[in-house]
Amino acid sequence: MGIPAAQMAAVARYLVKQRLARNDRYALVLMLEPLFRCNLSCTGCGKIQYPLPILKKHLSVADCVRASDECGAPVVSIAGGEPLLHPEISQIARALVDRKRFVYLCTNALLLERKLDLFEPDTHLSFSVHMDGPQKEHDRSVCREGVYDLAVQAIREAVKRGFRVTTNTTVFADSDPDRMRGFFDDMTALGVEGMMISPGYSYEKAPDQNNFLHRERSNRLFSRMLENGKKSWSFNQSPLFLQFLMGKRDFECTPWGSPTFNIFGWQRPCYLLQDGYAGSYRELLETTEWSQYGRKSGNPRCQDCMVHCGYEPSAVRAAFESASAMGATVASMVTGRL
Amino acid sequence: MDPHVRSLVERAFDYRGYVTIVRNDGSQLVGYLYDRSDAHVDLFDERAEQRTRVPAEQIADVRFSGEDAAAKSQEIWERRKGALEPLDTPAHGGWTQTLPALFVVAMEQELRAVAEAMGGRARAGVARGHLHGREVAAVAIGMGGDPRRAIEADRPACVVSCGFGGALSPDLRAGDLVLASAVQAPDGEVLPAPDLQVTRALPRAIRGQLVCAPQVAVTPEEKRRLAKGGAIAVDLESAQVARAAARAGVPWLALRAIVDEADVTLPPFAREARSDYVLPALRHALRGPGAALQLLRLARAARAATASLTAAVQSIGAALP
Repeated sequence: MGIPAAQMAAVARYLVKQRLARNDRYALVLMLEPLFRCNLSCTGCGKIQYPLPILKKHLSVADCVRASDECGAPVVSIAGGEPLLHPEISQIARALVDRKRFVYLCTNALLLERKLDLFEPDTHLSFSVHMDGPQKEHDRSVCREGVYDLAVQAIREAVKRGFRVTTNTTVFADSDPDRMRGFFDDMTALGVEGMMISPGYSYEKAPDQNNFLHRERSNRLFSRMLENGKKSWSFNQSPLFLQFLMGKRDFECTPWGSPTFNIFGWQRPCYLLQDGYAGSYRELLETTEWSQYGRKSGNPRCQDCMVHCGYEPSAVRAAFESASAMGATVASMVTGRL
Repeated sequence: MDPHVRSLVERAFDYRGYVTIVRNDGSQLVGYLYDRSDAHVDLFDERAEQRTRVPAEQIADVRFSGEDAAAKSQEIWERRKGALEPLDTPAHGGWTQTLPALFVVAMEQELRAVAEAMGGRARAGVARGHLHGREVAAVAIGMGGDPRRAIEADRPACVVSCGFGGALSPDLRAGDLVLASAVQAPDGEVLPAPDLQVTRALPRAIRGQLVCAPQVAVTPEEKRRLAKGGAIAVDLESAQVARAAARAGVPWLALRAIVDEADVTLPPFAREARSDYVLPALRHALRGPGAALQLLRLARAARAATASLTAAVQSIGAALP
């Protein structure tokens, strides 16, 4: 699996610390959205539909550092919007890396090659390039021609310069499993360190509402994509989460596992649902009615959701709370089988 | 909260556009409503700078006065009917990324000085970095090179043609900074420099006309000939940069740090376009003590010019709008 050993060790130390402190609710990944502005308008995205002054607003370096210090998550995913449009993005990444956070800087790669000079390769920094499948599917998903080729070129250059590069892929209902397997081969050949996959979430504000996955369909699709996967494929995700996507395991959502901070504050309850904001991380934890979310709650918006921000923390926690789940994780990492 | 107002507030919370809150006293507040509770609503003002909390009991009405960005996004998507945008489509929301300044230089040595000022590194003729927290870029176009592609690719808010130059006025010393009031092109056309606020950040710069020569003026005689048109300093690129910027509708300024004074003769290799002058300098120094001394003086002058150029770039950074 493609999670670096140093990151696994840092997460393990963090989990032990939380257990010793008897913390039941804690963050594993901070979803940091320093801006909503983007240079693409993708068919399945519900993050960028705001008036222009809101799109032009961004978090400062100090805001980002404060959010990271407040929640303490060992991993920070810088999302958006397109983070490379932020005028201080390299300072934000640097400040978080200096705090020994594992930073995943999500990008559509349109600006990556020309902005590489602003960054230094570091084991704590990875560019997480948005790639929704092979060329045709990706360009269709981002509604723009030539983006796949540009991203491939940027990945090559970043890898050549010694940067850690991963990919993040949203799978939609019309994805062809065989073509996705070919895509995993292509990304592996490019030298990406690990791939992340997740089913698309039905954002209420996304233009295309017909292409999101329902749970059973997700299971079938991910099974066909991942069953008997090649050993060379490297996923930057917990094997238990991938097994969950394939329908081999079930978890309950951990919405507080990946808290989201953006220009409005700490988003309730999770990265995908916007039910309001809290002024601090503590307030988010203490005043959100968590029982209203997750599959068991009966909340209709949670019934088909299998997205990584809620279920990857569940998978990681499960591995640390049960010997058999830990055994399954280790076995999968050794054999490469899911 | 009144049930009617409550339902309006819920709708406003879901609405991706500006709303107008009408208070009980008749006063109105326009903003983006991003959160609500039983006790209050939270809004960003129209410029998304100030947050305001309005107690629920003060709200009489909510009007949906701004355009709904989600509906607009939906409309654009439906109009596209699956057709892909071309790669050079402007950013979402009509917002385009604008560099506050693009520094255009000729040679790698000049690029390194500018890159140092912006805390970046020069690589393959380009440097990116920050000045006072704002991202800026510099590009080396080569001696007498064409800056059009760089300006059109970055579409900066301002183009700064900068680098080293030769003095034509006998009053100028090595390390002096010349800010062009106008630039004379090799074909004789004189391009007056726009009056930019940012130039106020360079109070010690000497204002005067620059002349753009087709090749490096090496001898005092050549410099005297160039000075006849009224210019106080000479370079090779500023006219091309000024023309390209004007054509792209971008304001420009031209700035030169003096290396060779008016009475100084440069070694002949100064005319060669090279990324590195170490070997020709060594060859020149081997000609004799006079040549070696000439090089030492030139190196000292280049250091003064580099320091002056670096400081000027940082001053410009502090004053960028």
